[in-house]
Amino acid sequence: MSKPLNDNICEERLFSSLFNKYSEDLNNFLFYKFGSTLSPSDKVQEAFVKLWENCGKIAPDKAKSFLFTTANNLMLNAYAHQKVVRKHEQIKPKFSTNETPEFLLQEKEYHAKLNKAIANLTEAQRVAFLMNRVEGKRFKEIAQLLDISTKAVEKRIYGALKKLRKDIEEL
Amino acid sequence: MNKEELIQKWLDHELNTQELEAFKQLEDYEALTKLDTSLKYFKAPEYNTSENLEQVMSTIKTDKQNNINWLSAAIKIAAVFVICFSAYYYTTTLDTTINTIASQKQTVELPDASIVELNAVSLLAFNESSWTNNREVTLQGEAFFKVAKGSRFDVKTEDGIISVLGTQFNIKQRDNYFEVICYEGKVAVTHNAKTTKLLPGDSFFVLDGKLFTTEKENQSTPSWLLNQSRFKSLPYREVIAEFERQHNVFISLKNIDDSQLFTGSFTHNDIEIALKSITLPLHLTHSKIDNIITLKRE
Repeated sequence: MSKPLNDNICEERLFSSLFNKYSEDLNNFLFYKFGSTLSPSDKVQEAFVKLWENCGKIAPDKAKSFLFTTANNLMLNAYAHQKVVRKHEQIKPKFSTNETPEFLLQEKEYHAKLNKAIANLTEAQRVAFLMNRVEGKRFKEIAQLLDISTKAVEKRIYGALKKLRKDIEEL
Repeated sequence: MNKEELIQKWLDHELNTQELEAFKQLEDYEALTKLDTSLKYFKAPEYNTSENLEQVMSTIKTDKQNNINWLSAAIKIAAVFVICFSAYYYTTTLDTTINTIASQKQTVELPDASIVELNAVSLLAFNESSWTNNREVTLQGEAFFKVAKGSRFDVKTEDGIISVLGTQFNIKQRDNYFEVICYEGKVAVTHNAKTTKLLPGDSFFVLDGKLFTTEKENQSTPSWLLNQSRFKSLPYREVIAEFERQHNVFISLKNIDDSQLFTGSFTHNDIEIALKSITLPLHLTHSKIDNIITLKRE
């Protein structure tokens, strides 16, 4: 086991590399978990600033879990302070005009249902599922990011898919 | 391969061409693709890593500066407070000290209206801020006290502590010389851990470490308050020392025994008359050069 010697997050170079490595994933994680209402990117920045403030106390290999935990807590605090409705859909689907009005209506309905169904997923399911479907991440990558087993990721995603399909059919 | 496994593999982006064909044959295929395409709309907003990094770095740097500025400002403010407080503390708790030089007498009024007459070359110190709890003065030299009635009043000298309750008394504490005379009221003198009580007219007198008993004092105030120094059977050197203090001169003795006893007095007002008063009885002559007076046998 090679132990990282002189590695110190206080060093700007290493700090920047950590930022490049994790900030986007962290941002997406927050977005899928909490929606866009509370500006996940701000929380990402805050989490990194906190990492910098504690850079002497945190080993580089613990940085990722520190960041995810910190950002998650920041989000939870923000939610506790203001009860806001989570909004998950970001890009409004554009419906091409050369379709029949009937088709357009169906599409709109489908999207509304999907939105509701996604909001109904558990946080764990939603995060894993959207990372997988939207970001195109493999199970293994998600498992590493969330510090859980691949099997658990598999279960969450498959469970999410089943639940979504069921919800959409029922609605 | 069953349907569930295929879907699992599809989810994990792991289907090979063969499996993909099989997957397309599934009855769920259409629903799944539709769901999948619609899900693209749920993508997180575009994230600009470098821009965000820049912001974080600038926050970190300004934070650092702010911290330093804040800290240094706090230190400055604290320093000002410390200085002000210590200056205040120092000035209010500092002892008030009154010093007299040769041929100078001074009247000092203490915070409780007690009066202290300070003889030449003497020092009186007291603490004004703690006066109400603790009536205590420090004395070096000679002083006459008229103490206002009230609680215990202590005079600390090198040779002992004098405690009183509203009275008038004189303390003379010089080299090897310690004398307390009580004129009114009652005085307790603690000398070498032994306490002696003095009634009006009593005196306590220690010379060269030996305790002497002296006659009753019949004067109502010490003579030096009337600008006279009186001596009753005292070594001549004590007379000379007092003379030097009162007239701010230096006296050298030539072939004169300074331990012979002297009884008499000299005035503080006129140095010539005073010199005669201390030389004639012993048949001495004097010569004066500047501030130095030499005494010789006739």
